[in-house]
Amino acid sequence: MSTQSLISRYGRLTIFMIPIGIAINFVGGQLALLLKLPVYLDSIGTILVGALCGGIPGALVGLVSNGINSITSPPTLAFGILNVMFGLLAGWLGRRGVFTVLWKTLASAVPFALIGGFLGALITLWVFGGLAVGGGALVVGALMAAGLDVTTANFVAQVPMDFLDKVPTVLAVYVVLRGIPRRIFAKLPLGEVYLRAKGVTPAPVPTASQPTPGGLR
Amino acid sequence: MSALSPEAASAPSGGTFDGVVSHGNWIRDMHPLNVAVVLASISLLALATPRPVGLVSGCVAFLGIAVAAGVGGSFARLYAKLVVGVGLVLFVLRAAFVHGNHVLFELGPLAPTWEGVREGTTFALVVMALCGALTLYFVLVPMKTFMLALELKGMPPQATYILLASFQAITDLGRSARTVMDAQKSRGIETEGNLWVRARAFVPILAPVFITALNQTEERAIALDARAFNSGIPHTHVLQLRPAPAWERAATALTAAACLATIGAGLLWT
Repeated sequence: MSTQSLISRYGRLTIFMIPIGIAINFVGGQLALLLKLPVYLDSIGTILVGALCGGIPGALVGLVSNGINSITSPPTLAFGILNVMFGLLAGWLGRRGVFTVLWKTLASAVPFALIGGFLGALITLWVFGGLAVGGGALVVGALMAAGLDVTTANFVAQVPMDFLDKVPTVLAVYVVLRGIPRRIFAKLPLGEVYLRAKGVTPAPVPTASQPTPGGLR
Repeated sequence: MSALSPEAASAPSGGTFDGVVSHGNWIRDMHPLNVAVVLASISLLALATPRPVGLVSGCVAFLGIAVAAGVGGSFARLYAKLVVGVGLVLFVLRAAFVHGNHVLFELGPLAPTWEGVREGTTFALVVMALCGALTLYFVLVPMKTFMLALELKGMPPQATYILLASFQAITDLGRSARTVMDAQKSRGIETEGNLWVRARAFVPILAPVFITALNQTEERAIALDARAFNSGIPHTHVLQLRPAPAWERAATALTAAACLATIGAGLLWT
């Protein structure tokens, strides 16, 4: 998809949301490290942009985040597909209004964790022979030392770890979405979903011959 | 635009406001895409040459290039961090946990094997060879120069904007997060203590930072619209890339050809 078609389909503001989403991924991870939390929290931006702008912009945030991360840690590149899947799933869930209700948001941690855990374990097995870099690898190593085979150790370690990571991640997305002003929602592709949840009926979408007065969309 | 001098207006780039990007070193002054070709060729050669000699040679070559480019110190510091943080971790995990027949020693549940050490050495060196090329590239070539080179090759400005703005946003948001963290600490929010106490501090720090950043997107959109960013006409640039001289193009092609020929000869030989 070219950038022009991305703009025409998702609106101009989406282009500016992508860098912010990427930065949120990094800062979320840095905050988790600063607060010494045993979770990654490095996909908040991906899910947030997916939930606000749709699957493709969310996937782009994930892809670029992992690409930038790989400059200093090349093994991260192999896990880029996970972040892409998170973005696509967030877009799909966002369109269905999942992030407008707290319990649905919390429940969405399950599919995110299943993707992260199972696909992450498969990538670790295929690309790194079962032992990648990071805290997860230490858990896998400990389980292997305890007698588990490498495949079982990866699944046993990664699925629960990913669930522990995704619950605060989706909770953070929910909190941020609650704090976004209505005028910003009005200019974003999936903003209509959140405006309806707040009891606001959005104005009809203008046609090509009747451009938006603000001009940003 | 009317303030442009006739000389500037007739410059080859047809819309550049400043001089050519130069660092006073011939390696750092190379065209960003030529640097990419040379480093990728060396990496491929290092990966294809019998291990571990080829991989170690590749890592040493990157260090040599960095020294010749006058960035030896900064590259060595960054690379050393990666060797410890990535390479050593990959090596230790494999040495400690990969099963094999030749156990070196036993330490509780750990029984490092000779096979694990060998696999760990090779895997860590492969990753460090790739890591070296990537790290050296971004030490040699500033991101804005790389993006300019891609834009001049036809990459849409919106795509290069996303990448450049991402780097800027990471710096800005990181600074903002630290400020908010200090402010929340001064209001009495605990950021030290047990896991639950630290976890509760996450949302009060994160929410203001991220919501402010999302609000700023609107201002950025207006600022870029005011500068005709989405007008569809060719953009002007503050920087100008030095046109690659013939010797540089020839040296790049020769390096790539020599590396590929060596790899090809090695494959035919085996």
